[in-house]
Amino acid sequence: MQRLTIEDLKNIKEKHKATFALREGGYRAKVTVHMGTCGITVGAKDVMDALINEVKKNGLKDVTVGSAGCAGLCGREPIVTIEEIGKETIKYCDMNAEKMRKIVVAHLIEGKPVEDYALPHQKDLPFYNLQELRVLQNIWFMDPESLEEYIARDGYQAAAKALTQMTQEEIIKVVKDSGLRGRGGAGFPTGLKWEFASKVQSEVKFMLCNGDEGDPGAFMDRSVMEADPHSVIGGMIIGAKAIGAHQGYIYVRAEYPLAVKRLQIAIKQCYEAGLLGKNIFDSGFDFDLEIYQGAGAFVCGEETALMRSIEGKRGMPRPRPPFPAHKGLRDKPSVLNNVETLAQIPLIILNGAEWYKSIGTEKSTGTKVFCLAGAIKNVGLIEVPMGIPLRTIVYDIGGGMRGKKKFKAVQMGGPSGGCIPESLLGLPVTYEDIVKSGAIMGSGGMVFMDEDNCMVSVAKFFLGFTTDESCGKCVPCRVGTRILLDILTDICEGRGKEGDIETLEDLCKDIIAASLCGLGMTAPNPVLTTIRYFKDEYEAHIKDKWCVAGVCRDLCTFFIDEKLCKGCLACLRACPSKAIVGEKKKPHRIIQELCVHCRSCYDSCKFKSIKVLPAAAREASEAELLQLAGVATPTGV
Amino acid sequence: MADDIKILVVDDEPAAIKNAERALKAMGFDVEGALGGKEAITKMEQNNYSLVLTDLKMPEMDGLTLTGWIRKSRPDTGVVIIADYPSQDTIKEALALGVIDYVPKPFTPAVLTDVTHRALKIKGKVYVEEKPREEFTPSMLNELDRAIKEYKKKPGSSIPALQRAQEIVGYLPPEIQKRIARGLNISPAEIHSIVSFYAFFTMKPRGDHLIRCCLGTACFVRGIEAILNKLKEVLKIDVGDTTEDRKFSLETVRCLGCCAIAPVMMVDEEPQGALTPKKAVSVLNKYAPVGMEEAHPEEVGIIEEKE
Repeated sequence: MQRLTIEDLKNIKEKHKATFALREGGYRAKVTVHMGTCGITVGAKDVMDALINEVKKNGLKDVTVGSAGCAGLCGREPIVTIEEIGKETIKYCDMNAEKMRKIVVAHLIEGKPVEDYALPHQKDLPFYNLQELRVLQNIWFMDPESLEEYIARDGYQAAAKALTQMTQEEIIKVVKDSGLRGRGGAGFPTGLKWEFASKVQSEVKFMLCNGDEGDPGAFMDRSVMEADPHSVIGGMIIGAKAIGAHQGYIYVRAEYPLAVKRLQIAIKQCYEAGLLGKNIFDSGFDFDLEIYQGAGAFVCGEETALMRSIEGKRGMPRPRPPFPAHKGLRDKPSVLNNVETLAQIPLIILNGAEWYKSIGTEKSTGTKVFCLAGAIKNVGLIEVPMGIPLRTIVYDIGGGMRGKKKFKAVQMGGPSGGCIPESLLGLPVTYEDIVKSGAIMGSGGMVFMDEDNCMVSVAKFFLGFTTDESCGKCVPCRVGTRILLDILTDICEGRGKEGDIETLEDLCKDIIAASLCGLGMTAPNPVLTTIRYFKDEYEAHIKDKWCVAGVCRDLCTFFIDEKLCKGCLACLRACPSKAIVGEKKKPHRIIQELCVHCRSCYDSCKFKSIKVLPAAAREASEAELLQLAGVATPTGV
Repeated sequence: MADDIKILVVDDEPAAIKNAERALKAMGFDVEGALGGKEAITKMEQNNYSLVLTDLKMPEMDGLTLTGWIRKSRPDTGVVIIADYPSQDTIKEALALGVIDYVPKPFTPAVLTDVTHRALKIKGKVYVEEKPREEFTPSMLNELDRAIKEYKKKPGSSIPALQRAQEIVGYLPPEIQKRIARGLNISPAEIHSIVSFYAFFTMKPRGDHLIRCCLGTACFVRGIEAILNKLKEVLKIDVGDTTEDRKFSLETVRCLGCCAIAPVMMVDEEPQGALTPKKAVSVLNKYAPVGMEEAHPEEVGIIEEKE
């Protein structure tokens, strides 16, 4: 491709707009297979192959086939979208090759959409109609490996505007006025960060992108990098101009091979088209961009650690100040922005600060992308206006818990965040309100937990994570989290004792006060929030030796309520230690001496006939068990 | 090889002996340990050792006294001191007694093997210089050297260089780390500090297929533990190990970012989602046979709950 001028951008846009409008492109229908990691994993490639073969076999020359990123509703992938002139767009979900062949014949040839496989129309689905798409606006529709398609969707218009018509100060002012705050988690105003770096005098500065999405349960940055890499690059070009940097790095986790590949393709395309390199858009502005692959260390999401890592050293944080805006990568002024933050930038430059502020709240403007995962029905990727109540996300967009189970908590902010209980679901999603609950906004992972999750185990899980990922530089984090983990392990394994909860709380305060970087300062959050909202579970573990959710093996006894058991043999088959006896259609029984408390039976029972009793019940007689199952409640409930 | 070379490690800390043993045995040496100076002398009266590695501060008989005894009674045996915080005076005294070298604690295996090699060379032992293991083919090493040369041009590229090296060799044993350090002109210690810090790097050989089990929150909530246990059972290995036939290596990763299809594992570069223990095993069977659980015969009359 030759170097693009601003005039070329317009021409490409006009030309490709035609293709999208189908009619002028000479096509009557466009079929899009959504090929994000989630789709590919469950067979999107087979669906694509079947589609291409079938279209070819039937000689459908007026049907165009394309791929795009994740369609949001990851739990129903593979998803295929069919757009037709003059007809409603239809999304088919849970696809496979056979269904695809059937749909090509029925929908595209005979003109009869296959209702059985189709999602209800988007307008009728709360999952879709409560969302506000900005960052994700390209993801659902665009081929991530096509620069033309991106340009046709206004791509690089903002970069062109920023480079040729705006001064550094003007760019910073628009971003500041928009109220955009860093989407990595802490919510520092992006414009302010840029202003600091732009004011420092230095020949060399760096513009960096943080794609080291380490929080377990978060995958929005992966989705954006995979499906819309050019928006991130566009944001970086604008940021580079604003601070006066001519070299940039995108730091991506090595665990995201598809994201790395798509970014590499996008960067190559940009160099070929003159959108990166020397004299971009003949503005005299140079910017070089490289990908830097991480090597698997959570702490590298922290800015000073990330910069050390790019320097080729152990990714250990250092005390601030000096802040990276003064001394960052290789001791030069540097700005590090999150993937989602950068993807918002082109939109703000193009549409203005007022447009951006038009949704959201006063202090948290715009939209936020979240990942719904865990025990929720509609797992997937969503973008909602700031200020939306959590309850709407859980019950309307998320569709409530799977298997009609009861909601227990939503974990926000990963290992730095906390668990928010049912009683606080009225909270609006803003940086300020979420912090009040003890959790943090975080990068956008929401992991849902239902009645079958043990909150002490959840806290233990996160502490296991932080002890593993602590870089070891400062003692409060390295040793403190270890001790927290030991106490939590003791509680989960039946060695909990009076006073443990208070020790945990004390220690948490010390770790927060004394740690060097964000990892240590926030590591106690999962412990503190679970104690704050689920103290009864801690007490049941410690005093009654009872894990009500049946997760901690040493603290539960499984018992079949004969009245509820239908004799379906499901638990009997699931049991690895052959501890369940019974015949078909007759109530089963657990032989306590053989039971290894693995919970397989509990999970396999569709009739909720298996009860979880305290550990002490293992010694009890059948009659006592029956009585316990009827009346027992743990301490504090 | 180093078959006829016996080394004695003397320390009052059993853990320290174990550490040194592990590093030196990997190099093919015959290593024994002694808990203190007296035990060391007893052992030396019965056996011939080429080299003694000794701690300084030990109850009953300290390292310097032991060194004195060795100088007098076993002049052919070389001595290397391993010590935490030795004072200048102690070092001077030790050198006066003719020790070959001293290694400050804590040390990395690479440092210890280095010192050992040098000490044996000084003592005139016929230990052959470490030569690259057979598994590193010349073409592999050539490719590695070429890659290192490329990376040397760019500052701060030790991590990409190591990533590339691991791609070529499969893992990063000490000799490869040293080769990279030499090539990039930075110290082996710095290279080792990077390899040991990042989870991506491994110093153990990996199998043909790498299984990475996701331990993220979503996978945790949806039961990855049962799957991991099943994999360990079927492959008969622990996390971090490789099967005997070198077909599979099992590792865990903090989050693969595929939470929507949790629980997830990644085999090579292919994520595999919505797993159950049974499904995980059948996925592996596609890569190499690992055996399969017999499925229970389907029972009739069970109503599946539909959402």
